Amino acid sequence: MTVTQPILGSTLPKRPSAIQRAWESFAIVFDSTVGTVGVAMVAFWISVALISLVWTPYPANATDFIQNESPTLTHPLGTDHLGRDSLSRLMVGTQVILVKTRLPDELFGYTLPFGDWPMPVGVAIWGVLGSLTLGSLLGLMAGYQGGWHDTIIMQILDALIAFPRIVLYLVVISAMGQGDLVVILAITITGAPGVARLVRSLAMDIKTRDYIRAAETRGESVWYIMFWEILPNARGPLLVDGMLRVGYAIFAIGTLGFLGIGLPPPDPDWGNMVNEARPFIFVTPWPVIWPSIAIASLVIGLNLFADGYREELTRYQK
Amino acid sequence: MSSKPVLSVKNVAVAYKIRGGEIEAVQDVSFDIPRGGSQGIVGESGCGKSTISWAIVNFLGSNGYVKRGSIKFQGQEMVGKEGEELRRLRGDQIAMVFQDPMQALNPSMTLGSQMKEVLTVHRNMSGKEAEVRCIEMLERVYMPDAANVMKRYPHQISGGQQQRVVIATALLTNPALLIMDEPTTALDVTVEATVLDLIAELRREFDTAIMYISHNLGVVARVCDHVGVMYAGEMVERGTVEEIYKNPTHPYTQGLIRCVPKLGADKASSVLYPIRGRVPPPNNRPVGCIFGPRCDYRQVKCEEERPALRQFPNGQSVRCHFAEEVDWRAWKPTADVLPPQIATKTGQTPILQVDGLQKYYTAQGGSIRDIMGLNKPRYVKALEHASFSVPKGSTLGIVGESGCGKSTLIKTIIGLEGSTAGDAQFLGVDITTHLSERDESTIRELQMVFQNPDSTMNPSYTVGQQIGRPMARFKTVPKNQIRAEVVKLLKAVRLGENYIDRLPSQLSGGEKQRVGIARALASSPDLVLCDEPVSALDVSVQAAVLNLLLELQAENETTMLFIAHDLSVVRFFSDYVAVMYLGQVMELGPAEAIYAPPYHPYTEALLSAVPIPDPSAQQKRIRLEGNVPSAISPPSGCRFHTRCPRKQLLSDNGQICETTAPPWQNVASEHHILCHIPKEKLIEFEPVIREA
Amino acid sequence: MARFLIRSFISTVVTMLLVSMLLFFLIDIGGGDVTVKILGIQATPEQRESLRKQLGLDQSTVTRYATWLIGNDWWVPVEYPIISVTNIKTGENEYWADVNGQATRWMMEDGELFALQRQPDGSTVKEPAEVWQNDSKGEIFWGLNNANSAVKWVRGSGEVVFIKTAAGIREEKDGPSQYIPLSKGMLRGDLGRSMRTRRPVAVTLWPRVRNTAILAFVAFVLIMPLALFLGIVAGINEGKPIDRFISVTSLAATATPEFVSGVFLILVLGIWLELVPPVAVFLTDDAIFQNPEMLILPLLTLTLVEVGYVARMTRASMVEVMGAPYIRTAIIKGMPFHRVVIRHAIRNALMAPITVIMLHVNYLVGGLVVVEAIFGYPGLGNYIYDAAIFGDFSAVLAAAMITVIIAIITRLLGDLAYTFLNPRIRYS
Ligand SMILES: Nc1ncnc2c1ncn2[C@@H]1O[C@H](COP(=O)(O)OP(=O)(O)OP(=O)(O)O)[C@@H](O)[C@H]1O
Ligand code: SF4
Ligand code: SF4
Ligand SMILES: [Mg+2]
Repeated sequence: MTVTQPILGSTLPKRPSAIQRAWESFAIVFDSTVGTVGVAMVAFWISVALISLVWTPYPANATDFIQNESPTLTHPLGTDHLGRDSLSRLMVGTQVILVKTRLPDELFGYTLPFGDWPMPVGVAIWGVLGSLTLGSLLGLMAGYQGGWHDTIIMQILDALIAFPRIVLYLVVISAMGQGDLVVILAITITGAPGVARLVRSLAMDIKTRDYIRAAETRGESVWYIMFWEILPNARGPLLVDGMLRVGYAIFAIGTLGFLGIGLPPPDPDWGNMVNEARPFIFVTPWPVIWPSIAIASLVIGLNLFADGYREELTRYQK
Repeated sequence: MSSKPVLSVKNVAVAYKIRGGEIEAVQDVSFDIPRGGSQGIVGESGCGKSTISWAIVNFLGSNGYVKRGSIKFQGQEMVGKEGEELRRLRGDQIAMVFQDPMQALNPSMTLGSQMKEVLTVHRNMSGKEAEVRCIEMLERVYMPDAANVMKRYPHQISGGQQQRVVIATALLTNPALLIMDEPTTALDVTVEATVLDLIAELRREFDTAIMYISHNLGVVARVCDHVGVMYAGEMVERGTVEEIYKNPTHPYTQGLIRCVPKLGADKASSVLYPIRGRVPPPNNRPVGCIFGPRCDYRQVKCEEERPALRQFPNGQSVRCHFAEEVDWRAWKPTADVLPPQIATKTGQTPILQVDGLQKYYTAQGGSIRDIMGLNKPRYVKALEHASFSVPKGSTLGIVGESGCGKSTLIKTIIGLEGSTAGDAQFLGVDITTHLSERDESTIRELQMVFQNPDSTMNPSYTVGQQIGRPMARFKTVPKNQIRAEVVKLLKAVRLGENYIDRLPSQLSGGEKQRVGIARALASSPDLVLCDEPVSALDVSVQAAVLNLLLELQAENETTMLFIAHDLSVVRFFSDYVAVMYLGQVMELGPAEAIYAPPYHPYTEALLSAVPIPDPSAQQKRIRLEGNVPSAISPPSGCRFHTRCPRKQLLSDNGQICETTAPPWQNVASEHHILCHIPKEKLIEFEPVIREA
Repeated sequence: MARFLIRSFISTVVTMLLVSMLLFFLIDIGGGDVTVKILGIQATPEQRESLRKQLGLDQSTVTRYATWLIGNDWWVPVEYPIISVTNIKTGENEYWADVNGQATRWMMEDGELFALQRQPDGSTVKEPAEVWQNDSKGEIFWGLNNANSAVKWVRGSGEVVFIKTAAGIREEKDGPSQYIPLSKGMLRGDLGRSMRTRRPVAVTLWPRVRNTAILAFVAFVLIMPLALFLGIVAGINEGKPIDRFISVTSLAATATPEFVSGVFLILVLGIWLELVPPVAVFLTDDAIFQNPEMLILPLLTLTLVEVGYVARMTRASMVEVMGAPYIRTAIIKGMPFHRVVIRHAIRNALMAPITVIMLHVNYLVGGLVVVEAIFGYPGLGNYIYDAAIFGDFSAVLAAAMITVIIAIITRLLGDLAYTFLNPRIRYS
């Protein structure tokens, strides 16, 4: 048999590497003004967190200074009611949220290695990763497998969703006590139902596509289809959702801190800083203002980021 | 042609602003429509057909604008018209009908209120008056039970009826111009035929000028007197329907006509000639003639100078430098579009044998008793008593309207659904079970090609990964040789080696479909099931993909089941054809036998509904009444009896059809018809189409 | 439609059941030792153990769950019917045994049992009781004590128990050897007794629920029209400056935690502009009726956070609907713009957010917890917070269950509204 039709496209460029592709798919966020602003805000706080790991103007818990001082040259953001440097506390406050997680010495009876060394990446991020993982698993099972899987999973998730979020936090924390890992767990549990609903609806849409039929007619296993055929195509919305959830998580951690049941000391906690300084608000508002702005700007930044990214994503899909 | 045109489009160019520039979706289009005239616009997708219609009503969205030219409606300039003045014209003087009636109607308003508001707003009628007028109009478009329909919501009536409502709404104010954008594309062929009849009839009766957009030459031939052919934003040829179809002058028009199979043509006696290459994207059009890169007559001048639309003495206008020299009859295919020569295959050892195959889905009832499980469970009888066998290396085509069970049949055979009764064997192995219960070797031997190019490939993986996966999964190829094997397959579907690392988003529809075919072939299956593999493609691409499938089939001796709703394509592609209606095979036989008498009455109706791109052909007019009955409680006796136009031929007006299931009659060797009418009478039916 | 409604209803019931189990077991497994909180850290292990028994914490979790859900007054091993009587002085419910028409409780003194017979005026008459029954372990009696528990006395066992009183911990010699705190169960309207105060939860909880309901209702009435209006305005002006403005502002407002916006509002309105009292001290549960202006700051805070969320949902839905083909049809039919928006778009655009908005009542309640904490508002949120911090198991349970019921019922309402708005479901 002779080749009768021409071979198409022999001069296509080479495929970019996986990292390049990942970056390219991320970089679309810079097409959106809103998204770019968001990225900048988030990047700012991450840099602050990283810098604070190696340098702060003063030790965060040192009480050596004049109390309730308004901003001066030596204390650019002023001091709080115990005479601690607000800037240093603000900087250190980013750490547990964004870049480190303090592990207990012992977990379920096992002594953890590495002694006092914290685990990299902050509580908010671990919590969101947790809910993304758990939620994706449940959502995929409910959405792709359908039937009684769907009924049971959704029923349980509905039950979880029915809890006002803060109440769930309160219950988890009153049940398990304070600690970085407990906060991670609480974020995971409160976030998973939402992720699962999202992934479920995505999976129900994606599973109608012909390429899923193709995989099924190849006799692929349910797990292969869920994790290799469906999940990769949900990554855009999942990234957006994850971003928003990091925002919620920081929001929630701040709130818990404000209520006095958030991340345990000794590291300063923004929510708690607001709470402690509140009674002195008539003396000086600064110690309340700074952490408030910090939380708001970080959460807003993440939201803008997610918004911009989503906008560009839908545009590129059109 | 009468005095002043209703619509006069002059040298219009429309552009859409996009990030980093703009694209000219329409460049230099001109035409006039006189009172009572009907102008067809045909072209492949993305050529700017819809854009023109949006430009006329000045509804181009926030990023579109008319860049040049003028659009005059009854002498008034429409370009730049805005506000109240524009609003008063829309819906009153100019009405539009769109492709998908389900989408075009508001799901949460009754049909009546959606119709009436046209009159109450534009004509200041009272609700009562408007109601009367609407019912009249619904009756005018042959809507059964018109008064009742007014109270219903869109989802409560069928697609064909929805489109009637939309058309009735458009005609309420007796508009001077009616724009129709693919009004029948979403409809089944028999429904389409009735809607087209309606449009043709209304056209004669109302003095409305019609602009009719379609991608289907046959449809335009049925309802228009003039037609303009568009290519990549330009109108390349314009003239009367007769002239264009008989004497296509522009090389593109010629190509279009050559690349669709004629109804009745088969792969042994005729060939399809795809147009080579693909439509240039709007922001990357060639200088000179836009069609140049795909044109067989191209000369140096074509690359340098853009041809103008020139009018010829016979009234035809053509945008080609060499229009006088291009002779449609003297055309010879060049080597690169020459398709394979293929003989029809019949009568070898069967590879697939299906006997009485049945598939029921459980239906969900709505009443409280249903939910409590008190009522007997009801079933959607999606497939009933399917029996046939397919010889090795041949193709069985399956035709029928949407919902007739074509896809269920294929899904049951491939194992996406387990069957509920009956027997099916593939090379002697039982395949009535669900996929998960089949062994690997059977799974490997049955593969599928899908309809929608945009969803056939997983957007997250490269071409190479997707074609390679079946090889890795079935371990038919050692790991280190997969890449080499993928390259081979790519070559086989005429794609270059460089495609291996492409992502689906970087491919055109036709290319994706080729990759889908390569993936299906990767495990070297013996049986490939094709579910409408070309129906989502543009005609010029469709021809190439069909040719490719034919070629690969001949090369590998693959057996195929081929579903399509386009009867010409099925006829062209298949050796055997099964005609299905409401879950049941009605007629089965060699392809050529199906398309000539004796016919099953349903087949006859289907054939007479097909729009053919030849205005001079004589086509018998048989129209089916009513809707397809529900598959939950299909009619007793013959499932077709509620709509059968032929049952009067039987004594008692076909009483027997309502009570007794018809027998299979063997009307010729291998040709079977499920009908009570004796074969002697069936043979006397006239052929549906007689070419002039 | 029947199918849809029945489905939502069944799902609602199952959800509530699941939630209650989840809540119960979660608190039960994780719950710290409430006895430490009640008795203080100086209490001895024996004292704590005794209190645990009195609270019924020695029973299995499943038994306690069943008790909590359906009550135990009808199956405890007391041979007399158990009746519930309102205490004339406190107005709280008490359990008494119905001994031949006479409401009776028992107590043990110096190894002997006495019956306490309730008189119409609420006082009791104490009489010796000869009710001991023989058991394999000796003489026992199951009766009711004066702390609303079914208890088992064993003759001559001389059980030492510790009783917490306002004055401190009192040791008693003749205590019962087993306690089963009585309850009618959640399903029969008994919210249980607080572990801290031993008083019925309902007594303290209902005023709080009422206060919260007032706050939530006023907030809801303020927020919804405003949010829907802003969302619709932004949606029909997609991409224009007004849309950008509404979107970004509502994003910022939503993304700012309540405690931040609350503190800022205090700072700006209370301290700098002096428009409202910066601190509101709610001394009693009824304080909000005396000083309604105290509601202003909590309301504003809630509104800030919630309006943005709902407005964004509505906007997204509106944008989608305005791009729908049937809106295009309406415009091409020459309908005036206001008619397109009001008749054709809004109804469809509200369909999607309405269920989400109803779901969002959860968040509203969640937000209330914080707002109440900031402003010291005597509501349900504050109640849960206090109870959770104290570890008052039954109070948390009751209050959380109420929030959940509110949430689930609003969701059911959302489903109903959706059914009503969507003819596809209504006529199926
Ligand atoms: N709003 C828009 N913004 C940008 N580009 C657009 C827009 N609408 C259409 N286009 C582009 O304009 C070109 C012509 O589109 P148009 O819808 O008129 O084609 P068509 O002939 O109607 O196609 P089809 O047969 O698929 O309906 C296409 O390239 C399309 O991508
Ligand atoms: S102008 Fe030239 S390239 Fe264009 S259609 Fe005519 S012959 Fe072909
Ligand atoms: S059996 Fe009767 S109803 Fe059926 S197709 Fe034949 S004539 Fe028509
Ligand atoms: Mg179009």
